[in-house]
Amino acid sequence: MNLNKTQTRSDRLTGRSTHLNFESSKGKVARNVSRGRGKLYTSYATNQAFLNTAPKKWWTLGFVVLTALAPFLVPLDFTYLLTLALIYAIGGIGLNLLSGYAGQISLGHAFFLGLGAYTAAVFGGKPGTVTWGFELDLAIVLPLAAIIPGIIGYLVAPLATRVRGLYLAVLTLGLLIFGEHMFKIMVPVTGGEGMGRGVAQRTLFGVDLNATYAIGPVIIKPEISFYLITFLIFAVLGVAARNIARSRVGRSFAAVRDRDLAAEVMGVNLMRTKTFAFAISSAYAGVAGALLSMLIGRISPEQWNLFMSVDFLAVVVIGGIATISGTILGAAFVVLLPRFLELLTEYIPFISVSSGGLINVFQLQTIVFGILIVIFITLEPRGLYGIWIRIRNYFTAWPFSY
Amino acid sequence: MTLRRRSRTALAALAIALLPLTACTQVDGGDDPAPSPPPSDSGDSGATELVTGQGVTEEACPDAINPDNGCIYLGVLSDLTEGPFAALAVPITDAQGDFWRLVNERGGLNGYDIDIDKNTRDTKYIADEHAAQYNQISGNIAAIAQTLGTVNTESVLDDMIAKSLVAVPTTWWSGFAFDANDGGIVMESGYSYCTEAIVGLDWFADNHGKPASVQAVGYPGDYGGDSAEGVKRWAEVNGAELKEYVPTAPNQVAGNQDAVVSKVAAANPDVVVLGIGPAETAEIIGKLAAGGFTGRFMGALPTWNPALLDSPAAGAITGLYNHMSPYQNWDGDSKGIADMKEALAGELPTNGGYIIGWAIGYPMKAALEKALENNDISPEGIASVVDGLVASYEGMAPDQKYGGDPQANAIQSVYVGQPNAEVELGMETIAQAYVGTTFDQTDYSAACVASN
Amino acid sequence: MNAFLEALINGVGQGAVYALIAVSFVIIYRATSVLNFAQPALMIIGTFITSVFVIDRGFPFWLAVVLSMVIVAAFSMGIERVALRPMVGRDTYSAAIVTVGLFIALLVLAFRLYAANPRSVGDPWGLNVICLGGTPVEGFVGGCEGGLTIYQNSVARTVIALIVIAALGIWLAKSKLGLAMRATSLDQETAMAQGIPVGRMFSIAWGISGALVALAGVLLASSGGVVQASDALFALVALPAIIIGGLDSLKGAVLGGLIVGIAMALTKAFQPIALPWLGNGFSNVVPYLIMLIILLIRPYGLFGTKEVQRV
Repeated sequence: MNLNKTQTRSDRLTGRSTHLNFESSKGKVARNVSRGRGKLYTSYATNQAFLNTAPKKWWTLGFVVLTALAPFLVPLDFTYLLTLALIYAIGGIGLNLLSGYAGQISLGHAFFLGLGAYTAAVFGGKPGTVTWGFELDLAIVLPLAAIIPGIIGYLVAPLATRVRGLYLAVLTLGLLIFGEHMFKIMVPVTGGEGMGRGVAQRTLFGVDLNATYAIGPVIIKPEISFYLITFLIFAVLGVAARNIARSRVGRSFAAVRDRDLAAEVMGVNLMRTKTFAFAISSAYAGVAGALLSMLIGRISPEQWNLFMSVDFLAVVVIGGIATISGTILGAAFVVLLPRFLELLTEYIPFISVSSGGLINVFQLQTIVFGILIVIFITLEPRGLYGIWIRIRNYFTAWPFSY
Repeated sequence: MTLRRRSRTALAALAIALLPLTACTQVDGGDDPAPSPPPSDSGDSGATELVTGQGVTEEACPDAINPDNGCIYLGVLSDLTEGPFAALAVPITDAQGDFWRLVNERGGLNGYDIDIDKNTRDTKYIADEHAAQYNQISGNIAAIAQTLGTVNTESVLDDMIAKSLVAVPTTWWSGFAFDANDGGIVMESGYSYCTEAIVGLDWFADNHGKPASVQAVGYPGDYGGDSAEGVKRWAEVNGAELKEYVPTAPNQVAGNQDAVVSKVAAANPDVVVLGIGPAETAEIIGKLAAGGFTGRFMGALPTWNPALLDSPAAGAITGLYNHMSPYQNWDGDSKGIADMKEALAGELPTNGGYIIGWAIGYPMKAALEKALENNDISPEGIASVVDGLVASYEGMAPDQKYGGDPQANAIQSVYVGQPNAEVELGMETIAQAYVGTTFDQTDYSAACVASN
Repeated sequence: MNAFLEALINGVGQGAVYALIAVSFVIIYRATSVLNFAQPALMIIGTFITSVFVIDRGFPFWLAVVLSMVIVAAFSMGIERVALRPMVGRDTYSAAIVTVGLFIALLVLAFRLYAANPRSVGDPWGLNVICLGGTPVEGFVGGCEGGLTIYQNSVARTVIALIVIAALGIWLAKSKLGLAMRATSLDQETAMAQGIPVGRMFSIAWGISGALVALAGVLLASSGGVVQASDALFALVALPAIIIGGLDSLKGAVLGGLIVGIAMALTKAFQPIALPWLGNGFSNVVPYLIMLIILLIRPYGLFGTKEVQRV
């Protein structure tokens, strides 16, 4: 147990304090004892575990299996939307770490997505007549797309740590506007306004992902292989985020969010915590931006704008602030809802694609989308995650649900 | 401890999961579905049987005008709600609906009606939205009747080429005239902005005296950038002084056009070629005129809107501005314009976008007719007729020839308009299909503004 | 020198519009702690209503302006009652996203109303100029040769915006209702304990804000040109203005708006010629740069209330 000795200081903060650790019994309770009783935590370790309840384990497993198999079950064009939803989830998780867990509202998220996209395009794309491109492998490009935005996030964070709340929101909006301007004038990187540039090539570890592969009887089309890679990255980053959230760093995030002065008094280094939150969130955004650019196929400097930032804010708020699983639900909601609205509006009479009538079908869809956001947030403060909790509690308490 | 063991287990699981990847083999990329059986009889019996592919059905279109006809589905990807080009794209899309409705009312094409409503999608002029909507419809259509925006179109162009989906763009970027950029499947309609500027300045020199200095104002990139390159080429050939190009942005981004006004006033050119939006056009012309500027303005196709005649700058616009269009204006006398007015049944469209939408229906109609003639309306069949196709605009513009030498085949004729409140839609044509001499002296062998 | 003065006066005119928009944001923020992202859409709808009354119906300009202010105010109050009242006591973050949802819906509505065409509001100033020390030119529009060219609309915008804001300030300071509103923005619970109907105060604040932003929309359109639905986004330039002034300060909003307007106008007039390497459209960045500098010195803006923190 020399491990315990060296880690005593951090143990106290990670909930594995020696005094409270039932290490001898590993927190396990004999089955005959626990039968018929509520499932209670018997150690901090299990309380803070990655998947701290049995249903969570099963749900997670089910989710992983289902999402991994999804592209084989749905039409090919739906795979595009699912990939987009995963990318939004990655970016949304990054923003949730910063805004949900650490409480630093940011409207500049799209800027970091853009940084990631252009990092990927420059290092992994083909050179054009005026644009740079080094045609590197994605194995190098994707880490770079996390590192470079991460570093920039780290560098601008000290500016942002001085202000709070909506002041910070508008300050980060300034970052976005400044970034958009830089993207527009850095023509060798971005191709300039109105024309844009091509994106990173889909080559991972020397394997050309634009080809169709077969594993036994399973045919993997380029869309599916890109989806699977996105899913893998999403899974790794999602687990990492959950681990950050339940670690010492995550708790210092929460302390800073709830009352930064109090956190500081308790010994949380404010500057370091906020800076780290910005850096990690930017790195997530960078990866999401790189993947997004490769999914779209062509990027222009104007697209990394306030609307994109707001989309990610919506993902976080609709999903549920400071929950990783909620963010995934939020991303699915924001990306997939328009498609479902489209399916629904087919059944509404007197609404057509032409602009002659009262309103056309696309206008109706967009208006309904906006209003649904309003309804969701006003009715359920904790977002989709809150709805899930309510459903869960209903069944947990059954038959005494009220 | 437990954590460590767990991570090891996870790693092992990952390795197992990745194992099959080593066993994977690359297969042929082709996933072309076999062409579906042709409709048994489609009115007139051809010698060979008709080949059909995706987007063509034997069943009639939804709400068909001719219930006995088959149906050809075309896609539309446009900016229909709140994107920056919605003001123009909405009437364009309306016109396309009316265009094909008239075609159907006149019996359709060789036993087929055409439907565009089912696969019309709103892209909001956002590239990822465009790509998403494209992915949704690309498997259900025979061709694309309208695709808006250069960046958006290029984002899915590789896939369009792979699927042989012929498309008519609602962008007049010069690049789509060249197979190197579009694989020969994008059927640009009319001239490019680059050509427009060159020919427009020829017209200006003929009618207002040869300008000693010229200047371009425009949105950077495929639109204003292309136009500015045309201005530059005209100045080079004709020895006029080229004042520095003024890139700008729409008012929603830039706030107002004061930066342009101060720069143009300082340069004081004889003529300014505008590649911007209508609101910005009004503001720039009005403010420059109020500041004593005496030069004139040539506006590209999207710079005009009849509402400008209600603006305080109306006087200056009527006096100093001419509009350039690849198609006849509302006051045109061609069969195409007459058909369009028939489809509208006496109503006035909201703006000139309607004429554009109507005109770009013709190249697609020509391609479909030719493909039907060849008995192959699969996407590949339609794509194969584009090279060498001659599309008639029913007099709305000179016939357009696709493929071949872009320089020789480029449409050069400009319809020059003069704002006039007495005329419906406010634009009176003062030069029909004007063709200048400068364009043939320039090198039109690649896109004026390169896509990178 | 003339060029500088002209840019300055243009900037003041533009800044007055920003100030009006900024005040409309601040009024709502003070009352309900909401940063209302739907404001741009309300602004452009206000412009539309005025335009319809003046151009299509032939109403006198001033009557149309007042009507449009009343209509937008009522609309804004309705929005508050339906969508924002349930958000009382919730975090600013979620409330902001609610207004974003409203913005998405209302912007589409604005696009539908404009129906593809730009509009003008038929204001009496148009492109008329005041010629100081120069010779007026009879051209297509009243021009000015030499001397100082001042657009009448710059003067009109400045005067109207400042009078309206001043009237609002006096009303807030002197009237009983104004006092109640200030009390509400200071502390809702205490205000309620004093018998102030806090809910009604929220409504009034949103109503005033709607009226102001409709007026701002009209002044925006009365710059000698036309506006279209997409110009709504233009209102977001007021965001750095309210931060410069301090989120909860009316005085700050006015000052911030003027600073932003002047700085942008001067940048537009001189940067493309003097410092072209900064790039096309650099003027958009300027307000945010000023904001950054001010925030580094004063984290709550020029006149913002410093948040008192207790542990």
